[in-house]
Amino acid sequence: MNSSQAKEILLLYRPGTADAADPQMVEALESARRDPELGRWFEQHRAFQKAMRAKFQDIQVPAHLKSSLLIQGAAPPNLVAPRTWWHPRVLLVAVAAVLLLLGLAAVWLRPSVPDRFANYQARMVSEAQREYTMDLVTNDMRQVRQFVARHDAPANYYVPRGLERLQLTGGGRLTWRSNPVTMVCFDRGDKQMLFLFVMKRSAVKDPPPATPQVSKVSQMLTASWTRGDNTYLLAGPEEPDFVHKYL
Amino acid sequence: MAARSSYKEDQPRGELDFQGLVDLHYGLLYRFAMSLTRTESDACDLVQQTFLTWATKGHQLEDPSKVKSWLYTTLHRAFLESRRRFTRFPHLEITEATAELPSVEPDLVTRLDAQEVLQLLGQVDEQFQAAVALFYLEDYSYNEIATILGIPLGTVKSRIARGLAQLKELVLRKTSSRGKAQTGGA
Repeated sequence: MNSSQAKEILLLYRPGTADAADPQMVEALESARRDPELGRWFEQHRAFQKAMRAKFQDIQVPAHLKSSLLIQGAAPPNLVAPRTWWHPRVLLVAVAAVLLLLGLAAVWLRPSVPDRFANYQARMVSEAQREYTMDLVTNDMRQVRQFVARHDAPANYYVPRGLERLQLTGGGRLTWRSNPVTMVCFDRGDKQMLFLFVMKRSAVKDPPPATPQVSKVSQMLTASWTRGDNTYLLAGPEEPDFVHKYL
Repeated sequence: MAARSSYKEDQPRGELDFQGLVDLHYGLLYRFAMSLTRTESDACDLVQQTFLTWATKGHQLEDPSKVKSWLYTTLHRAFLESRRRFTRFPHLEITEATAELPSVEPDLVTRLDAQEVLQLLGQVDEQFQAAVALFYLEDYSYNEIATILGIPLGTVKSRIARGLAQLKELVLRKTSSRGKAQTGGA
């Protein structure tokens, strides 16, 4: 084990814990005893760790937290025995759930009709806010276009100059009322994402005008516009000059 | 360590009472939540959500000795759930930490208060933060941290090492910029 390898292992050493029993750690500690330079580094690192640990222990817990928690848990349901599937109430709930699913399926499977842009906008924003998966993780826009084209989503979309300057992180294909939607994701540069959604204008009966319309939807800022056959919806965290910066 | 970190393991299942759990763990969970969110209200929300989850799903836990790590895992998941919406990036494979680690005098750390340390932790790469926080807050073994965070052991070690290297660099920068400001002001 050379000095550099020993350092990497010793970096994870926490005084007074079981770390010292780890065979690799034992070897690294031995290296630190033999190598004066490494030993000095290790002593300094140990002191750093001790000081940092103390800072974390210094975090003050709000006085009201405990009482809030106790009020919340006044009746602990952890002592209630779990119900089995044949329990009459569970069966009743299961039947109700099946009926509800049948009802929902009937709604979902009805023929698609043009709908309001606002509904589409709200749905896409919620898509961006909740857990989603990019079908394709790439920095190459051509790959995104090829992917969405293969899945019948708009591939001839226009990317505004402001967005072109950002790093592309990937994209995917979503669906709104049976209409394919292209999603393109950009890294804004500060661990925040911007989402461009593109859908055929014919999918809504009130497509937005050609000039971008800015509105706030569920804590996100959106800009929506129509260009050619497509409607565009850009969604991202609130920030000044949203339109000028990205469109 | 086990005696301190686990809920009384020899306690009968029925005595896993809510108040006992709160008494034992709320402070530590809050500190972990603060390390992740750095905002008091968000941290309180996370702790409340964690105990609420316990109140509704805690009965599913078979092994009372795993209560504490269950609470940590639940809190961490709740945090990820709240953050996931804007932070879905392609994750790169983490390589071993570089040996080029900055050397930091420990007295530089003592010049910082807990809040400043948390702010610095907030500047560390987000995927390293939880591992680093658990590393400092608890005596958990790396295997236990891996279980809580739901990642492989090697990744835990790598994340802690990379996170510590970044944290050291940030402490250096913070204290040196403060030193310059004080010199400039004098």
